[in-house]
Amino acid sequence: MLATGAEPERSVVQITTFSQQPDWAAPWRFESVRRSSGSGFVIRGKRILTNAHVLSWARQVLVRRYQDPRPFLARVVYMGHDCDLALLALEDESFFDNLDPLDLGDLPKVRSSVVTYGYPAGGEQISYTRGVVSRIEVQSYTHIGNRGFIAVQTDAAINPGNSGGPVIQDDKVVGVAFQGIPGLENTGFFIPPPVIQHFLQDVEDGEYHGFPQAGIRLSSLQNPDFRRYLGLPDNDQGARIDSLSPIPSTTAVLQKEDVLLQVGSYAVASDSTILYEGNRLHAGVAFSEVQHGQSLNLRVWRQGKELSVTLPMNVVRDDAAEGNQYQLPKYYIFGGLIFTPLNRDYLRAVGGSSPDTLGSELAYELFYRRQEKPETWRPEPIVLVGILSHSVNANFSIKGRALIQKVNGRRIEDLKGLIEAFESSSATYDVIQFVTQQSFDCLNHSAAVQATSEILKTYNIPSDRRL
Amino acid sequence: MRYPFLLFICWLAGLLSISAAQRSSSWENSVVSLEASRRSYDYLQPWARRQETVTKSGVVIGPRQILTTADYLHDITLVRVQKNGRGPWYSAKLAWIDYHANLALVTSADSNLWSHLKPASWLPKPMSRGQVELVRWRNGRLESFQGDIQQWAVKKGKLTWVDYLQMEVSSEINAAGWAEAVVVDNKLVGITSSHADNRCTVLPAPFVRPILQAQNQNRFPGLGYFDFVWQKIENPDILAYLKLTGAPRGVVVVDGGLKLGHASPIQPMDLIVKIDGLDIDNEGDYQDPDYGKLSIENIASGRLWANRSVPIQVWRSGELKEVAYTIPKVDYADELVPLAHYDQEPEYLIAGGLVFQPLTEPYLRSWGSDWRRKAPFRLVYYTLEKPSVEKPSRVLLSTVLPDRTTIGYQDHRFLVIERVNNRPISRLNDLAEALKSPVGGFQVIEFAPGESVGKLVLNASRLEDATARVLQHFGIQKDRHLSSP
Repeated sequence: MLATGAEPERSVVQITTFSQQPDWAAPWRFESVRRSSGSGFVIRGKRILTNAHVLSWARQVLVRRYQDPRPFLARVVYMGHDCDLALLALEDESFFDNLDPLDLGDLPKVRSSVVTYGYPAGGEQISYTRGVVSRIEVQSYTHIGNRGFIAVQTDAAINPGNSGGPVIQDDKVVGVAFQGIPGLENTGFFIPPPVIQHFLQDVEDGEYHGFPQAGIRLSSLQNPDFRRYLGLPDNDQGARIDSLSPIPSTTAVLQKEDVLLQVGSYAVASDSTILYEGNRLHAGVAFSEVQHGQSLNLRVWRQGKELSVTLPMNVVRDDAAEGNQYQLPKYYIFGGLIFTPLNRDYLRAVGGSSPDTLGSELAYELFYRRQEKPETWRPEPIVLVGILSHSVNANFSIKGRALIQKVNGRRIEDLKGLIEAFESSSATYDVIQFVTQQSFDCLNHSAAVQATSEILKTYNIPSDRRL
Repeated sequence: MRYPFLLFICWLAGLLSISAAQRSSSWENSVVSLEASRRSYDYLQPWARRQETVTKSGVVIGPRQILTTADYLHDITLVRVQKNGRGPWYSAKLAWIDYHANLALVTSADSNLWSHLKPASWLPKPMSRGQVELVRWRNGRLESFQGDIQQWAVKKGKLTWVDYLQMEVSSEINAAGWAEAVVVDNKLVGITSSHADNRCTVLPAPFVRPILQAQNQNRFPGLGYFDFVWQKIENPDILAYLKLTGAPRGVVVVDGGLKLGHASPIQPMDLIVKIDGLDIDNEGDYQDPDYGKLSIENIASGRLWANRSVPIQVWRSGELKEVAYTIPKVDYADELVPLAHYDQEPEYLIAGGLVFQPLTEPYLRSWGSDWRRKAPFRLVYYTLEKPSVEKPSRVLLSTVLPDRTTIGYQDHRFLVIERVNNRPISRLNDLAEALKSPVGGFQVIEFAPGESVGKLVLNASRLEDATARVLQHFGIQKDRHLSSP
């Protein structure tokens, strides 16, 4: 508990990160070291809470206390990329001497006042900005871009460098500043206590698991005809499960066309929302409350009957589009051909949203194929990233950014399969077939095997693979 | 000292200009202006019509025959012709049009038009290099611009996906590509079809004349194309893998049988080494006696046309085989997302405020010239997919016109339909039929897997009233326009 009359700013720290992220287009390589800064604050247990994006790919983290010129070396102890939160520990724990940890408060009310503390760009000293809680909604957390949790919008300025800093109300932390929306003025967002508490509870067992996913997509049920078709009363309750992700624990319990009436203690309304501490929020919030491995009791309407089911909730880790973002990229080099799994970061690095055929194919593979054509879905699609020039591959006609269909007749589902397809071949020529109009090319196998070590040496690549 | 020099330049410029006009004067009686008025459509509101008028050029090439491009002559309501760059406009009509070839013939029953007009003569011999003139009427004057033949290329036509022989000419002419006559020594070399960056694409005589001659005898079957995908062989390892003996040659087929219902003897991994007796190299070219190396696509679209049987020699499984390949006729309906559907009103069907349309390229072009980037990704991606027997085309819920019946659905749009009332849907006619068979009193509309919503339901008994209400509310005359089944 913060001592009465204490100054919260004493517990707010400036974080300087020297980071180096991989180059997904040359996956054995790293980009130049980059310096960035953010904010954080001391919490109980001699730890500093900040945003995950402040610490991503950190090579060194330095922390400075309020009005203290000394930099202290810090290390990352937990990273929650999905919720954009992270915890730091200090090598020299004297850093925490005379610092009072900040305590978490409750979800602030809309229209109430908050103050953000942090070290935003434009100066070296701490900055305070006061604002009003404008609204509370589920927002996309842009750090990894594919998860949405509760976020609080405020008109207090949240600028680069504020990230990770506390948002204070009545001497308690009611949020961690984390993102804005480009082009919108006087609009900043902070991560509220329910998400922070989930993160802190998650790491209590010494490991961060993440937020579990139900794998369901809800569709509103506001059309009276649709409600009659499902045999539902014409009221404001229930949202339809429009689709299910292929998560076995979910598909064993729920069915497409089920109508979700209640999640835990929350009644689900016909617009797919629940009433959460006085706020109408998307029902996904109710699923975010449980930890990995726990279960949720649901009430559903199925084929004219109401029934109760228990849904096991687990973290999903098998989808390339969902969150392989913060592992070093896997790769394999054979005869100068560079292969890597397709994921969001690779796509972003090569401008995969471009409207050309290759760019469209990569985007389709990553974001649509699993839903549309699950029978052709690959757990880890592999891309020919590029070619390291050598006489063995000089005539290879496809130069890169191409999705692999087959190698030596074997359908490629993951990097391991690709390596096996090359290394188990006894044929004179390796045949590499691409998804694009089934085009293909050939490589002399024994020449490629011999050339690989020479290519690695020429281009100063430490290994032909990272798995 | 400065003035005499400037005067000399002015005199020289005037001399050059007059010289050009004198050289072109013989074209005054062969080049005409055309004015075409046509219906155009807003595919986002397919029931709405607009009118558009364009002016372009034409060349008299025979008795009561004016040659022009097919571009912008679809859905026409009125065609007029003006001679001598001024004076009256004469009523005319389309005598023949082929959109894929981008050629049209215009005629007129008005004898006054034809008096003093003289058919142009075609250049009898192929001309692969050299200078040409581009001639057109503009503001009452016959304009003539010099041009240089840059290259001959077999490339995609402006109104089709088929590659055919075209000529590229560099010229300072502005705003061209509207069927300006391309001439040399008082002979017609071709007509322009497009213009960008000081470069005109020209439909040349060797492409145009045989088509017109065949058409005059009513025996032009339409352009053909090879309905297989081939790739060049830049890598000798591919030839070694295919165990080809003899000199390196041929291109390899990677996908075949693209036209539904067309029995093709060509198989993936066939190495095509000869077509119609012509040797094919690793670039996919054959040696043309007049123009040098040309792509094999020109064999199906220029040397031969649709429906012709052509011998193709392939290297298959280690030996040479000859197969008889019938060249299919190009048809916009061959594609999952048709590139165009000229001379037809856009199809649509409104059911209780839900607006259904076929997925076509004209619809996608509603997002502007950069539609591949701006239109919804998934819709654009269908243009890269192949049609199948089960799904030769796609239908989408394009928008929802708000009504009390569609409460809760108002934000749904751009959703591709999979089934309606348990019936598979690939054409709008399928949907119209399916709506006649509601399930348990409901119209059940299911969308393709992966769409943002899976299903919508409407009360079948109230649909007719709802549709009538929507039509009245939004001022729409008809609830549908369907093509003939």
